[in-house]
Amino acid sequence: MKGRILVIEDNEQNLYLVKFILENNGYEVCEARDGREGIEMAEKIKPDLILLDIQLPVMDGYAVARTLRTKPDLAKVPIVAVTSYAMAGDREKAIAAGCNGYIEKPINPDIFMQQVEQQLCLRADGGEGK
Amino acid sequence: MLMALLIFAAQAALIAALFFNLVRRRRTERVLMVKEQELQKHRDHLEALVEERTQQLRMSNMEMMQAKEHAEAADQMKSAFLATMSHELRTPLNSIIGFTGILLQGLVGPLNDEQRKQLQWVRTSANHLLALISDILDISKIEAGKLQLSRETFDLRAAIDKIVQTFRPLTEKKGLRLEAAIAPEVGELYIDARRVEQINLNLLSNAAKFTDAGSITVSCTTEDGKYLIRVADTGIGVKKDQIDEMFKPFRHIDTGLSRKYEGTGLRLSICKKLLELLGGEIGVESEWQRGTIVTVSIPVERRPT
Repeated sequence: MKGRILVIEDNEQNLYLVKFILENNGYEVCEARDGREGIEMAEKIKPDLILLDIQLPVMDGYAVARTLRTKPDLAKVPIVAVTSYAMAGDREKAIAAGCNGYIEKPINPDIFMQQVEQQLCLRADGGEGK
Repeated sequence: MLMALLIFAAQAALIAALFFNLVRRRRTERVLMVKEQELQKHRDHLEALVEERTQQLRMSNMEMMQAKEHAEAADQMKSAFLATMSHELRTPLNSIIGFTGILLQGLVGPLNDEQRKQLQWVRTSANHLLALISDILDISKIEAGKLQLSRETFDLRAAIDKIVQTFRPLTEKKGLRLEAAIAPEVGELYIDARRVEQINLNLLSNAAKFTDAGSITVSCTTEDGKYLIRVADTGIGVKKDQIDEMFKPFRHIDTGLSRKYEGTGLRLSICKKLLELLGGEIGVESEWQRGTIVTVSIPVERRPT
């Protein structure tokens, strides 16, 4: 197992797609379907990376990222926003909320793993020793 | 006696003259008074007229302001609608492109040649649709004034080399010569890299799309503190009076053409608007059935030190 990834996504097909690619590439995937469930799950499983949709029920992705950044044991977990909400300034807003990266939907399956693993590597280089 | 008579006559004449004079003056005065009254009447009328016209002007000004506000509100609504629609359209595309991609990667299982070919068509069409949606989203962002530019150091020479390489397979397939001539002094810029790449991509896409024989030449030089990027093709060209039309969104030059060349007709208008935001310019020279030269100028700015 290469690592544990939490996917917070409310769209069934998108969730299935991302989970399928990640699992086929040897990752363990945990899922959450709304913002609050995502935070609870993150605290419970302590993932190596979080893929976060922005438009979520209960609590949107920006709020989730901000909340996760206040928790000491989760503060260093890379969060990658994955969203088709491609309006001006969204990337900046996601970064400002505490995300480390931003993947625009529709995801490109040919480079998706590369985009995800880049964030995992950055974390490993950051002295986590994983 | 005669003397006295003469004096009397003279006096009488004088008195008569004075009398007539007085009568004339009275008459003149009366005429003047009448004229004065008429004048006053005209003056009053004129004032009323001016007042009336001012009122009319004020009304039409107000109507114009209201019409302008309505038009602006409608425009904003159109942009918001387009942005929302684009977002909604991208969500199902995520599934189409995503699942097609993993099927083609063989992640689900091996494919036979026919399955692979058909899935590749699905992928090509889905990517085409995505490009169209992105164009619509871009133009609505720009028109709503919501496009934010970023700045980073950007190697223009490398970017042009890269885009030319990207187009080489397509131009070779069409039997076109594709050449690039970049002046030695062309180098770095401090600018929104993604947007400059988008402009280059749009110019080359158009050239490749509208050229069926001959060549496409991309050149880049510097002039008066600006980079000039020129894309010249030997394609179908446009007539002189239609050059301005090319920059208006959703306009394909002529309905006969748009049937042969599909697309939204947004690329050039996106380029023009992006260049306005970047402080640059775009110009087109074209000759019908001979070819087109599109010239883009971008001010050379370097990262402040």
